[in-house]
Amino acid sequence: MPMDEESREARGPRLGVGQTVLAPGEPILAPSEQLGMLYQLSDPALSELGLEELLDELLDRVRDALDVDTVAILLLDRDTDELVARAARGIEEEVEQGVRIPIGQGFAGRIAAERVAIYIRDVDHADIMNPILREKGICSLLGVPLIVEGSLIGVLHVGSLVPRTFDQRDLGVLELAAARAAPGIERARLHSELQRQREVAVALQRSLLPGALPQVVGVETAARYLPARAGVGGDWYDVIALPRGLVGVAIGDVVGHGLPAAALMGRLRTALHSYALEGIGPGRTLELVHRFVQSIGGDAMATAAYGVFDPVTGKLRLSTAGHLPPVLISGGRATVIETTPAAPLGAFPYTSYAEQELALSGGEVLMLYTDGLVERRGEPLADGLGELIRVVRDARSAEDACARAMEHLASPEGLDDDVAVVAVQNTVLTGELRLELPADPAVLSGLRHMLRRWLREKGADELTISEVTLAVNEACANAIGHAYPPGPARFELTASESAGELTISVRDRGSWRESREPDGGRGVRIIERAMSGVEVSRVHEGTEVLMRRKLGPR
Amino acid sequence: MKIADLEVSRRNGVIIARVVGEVDMSNADDLRAALAAAIPNDAVAMVLDLTGVEYLDSAGIRMMYQLTEDVQARRQRLQAVIPSESMVTDVLRLAGVTEYIGAVETVDEALALLEVR
Repeated sequence: MPMDEESREARGPRLGVGQTVLAPGEPILAPSEQLGMLYQLSDPALSELGLEELLDELLDRVRDALDVDTVAILLLDRDTDELVARAARGIEEEVEQGVRIPIGQGFAGRIAAERVAIYIRDVDHADIMNPILREKGICSLLGVPLIVEGSLIGVLHVGSLVPRTFDQRDLGVLELAAARAAPGIERARLHSELQRQREVAVALQRSLLPGALPQVVGVETAARYLPARAGVGGDWYDVIALPRGLVGVAIGDVVGHGLPAAALMGRLRTALHSYALEGIGPGRTLELVHRFVQSIGGDAMATAAYGVFDPVTGKLRLSTAGHLPPVLISGGRATVIETTPAAPLGAFPYTSYAEQELALSGGEVLMLYTDGLVERRGEPLADGLGELIRVVRDARSAEDACARAMEHLASPEGLDDDVAVVAVQNTVLTGELRLELPADPAVLSGLRHMLRRWLREKGADELTISEVTLAVNEACANAIGHAYPPGPARFELTASESAGELTISVRDRGSWRESREPDGGRGVRIIERAMSGVEVSRVHEGTEVLMRRKLGPR
Repeated sequence: MKIADLEVSRRNGVIIARVVGEVDMSNADDLRAALAAAIPNDAVAMVLDLTGVEYLDSAGIRMMYQLTEDVQARRQRLQAVIPSESMVTDVLRLAGVTEYIGAVETVDEALALLEVR
């Protein structure tokens, strides 16, 4: 209940029955053990505490020093100009119920508004805003403002369940406690605010980065993202399944830190992803994203690299925009790929991005990364790059390369800058073709591209390639269509060639039933006509379709 | 990921639907729905132009059969266009459905057959 304005005016310094505004600053003599405890409020250990721990510690010490029944700390919420109960002893309900008191109203509200200590010997319950104080039957209250560098940050008050005279000595103790604790509270509050912002930014960043990477036949991809110790940045990576069995691999780094950088990162990743899906080449894609960055205005800027990999030819077309060069890992060696220098996205009005072509043989891994992985304060970039090359050169897969890079270069004490890494590997395709794939119709297109490439490498003519691809596709479609729900399932395709004879096997973990084909066995007919021999057999927990045919015309 | 595109145009009372890309079990049902929706009631026929199809499997054949049924139920006609050098010709032959599909080589042939130009 707000205090009656008129009666307050009339009473002057006397504030209700027994309510006194106390003038601080008078010399006080406090018992030494009380002061001893309170001096500890400024001890270094406290400054290391989080806000909640600091407040808890402060309350206990004040309660012990003044031998009171209740202690409460209310902190100012600057957005609403209200005091919010943050910690309490004896009146924990204040905190649990999230009591909020408008500045200027009631006991604590007046302490905050007028920045004075207030003492109420006999609490006139009509003057108390907070019903919890009434319900607890508090008789006497003493409260002081918490002030840091001239700014009010909250109120600290103590209470007694029996009538008690708080004297100048008690006030002195409470004011000392408030003066000692306030800067620490403010520091801890700012710290926890930053911490919260960081958590929000990290959550945002994670939500803006891709979830599971798409499965592209003939390609293995892997990626990592690690936020910086001090907060998130604008790093991102992306892996995009493109039409015709191609795969897009992107990495980028928005200039700046914190939430704005993370938010801009999300927009740029989306823009690049959308252009990429249209099948636009890497150079043109970066040009379009550059244009998008410019349309945002301000000082928005980012470095990026985007590559389109064709697992059928092993060629990777790459464009970079002010980004660090990729690393190629091949047979126990790692090399930094020389790239065409180009400005970051958004840096200069007229920018074009050249494309270069890299060849990725079977087993080779191309790795893209952001500067946080290799840049160390006060060390030349070349040292960081050299270290990266050393730690990833023996990587056997894209996943292995990412794991090694993060293990050795992302310091366990935390990073100064956030780090993104993405790697793409050309799946080994020498001799036998072996693919283990999820039972998902979406893999069929890539699988066909891969099989055609393998058949072509084996010297098959175009008709054989077409017919065998049709047969294998039908066998795989059967495996996918009959897959073992619920949950994720996989199937396996192996193809080998010996003395001009092809042997292709499709194994799944379901049972082959022609009747399940809704088209009356058209798929089976295609397999039988395209191949010279077909055997369907029950194997351990599944079905194997074994198909044979000469490499040339039947 | 989209592996086929559909372009629809109209010439007099005939809808010309051009499929470009690949047709398999991942997109056949969606394609059938899109094609059926592309024929308005006042059209007399649809020319299904598969010239730009790089791959078609048994799911694609089933889609063509179902689309024929959809169209005939509305007293409309469907005419497929499949060039003889197309990969689609291979699958129709292997599946033994070449005669049933009754495809022609070009869109002009299809329009002539439907007696509209």
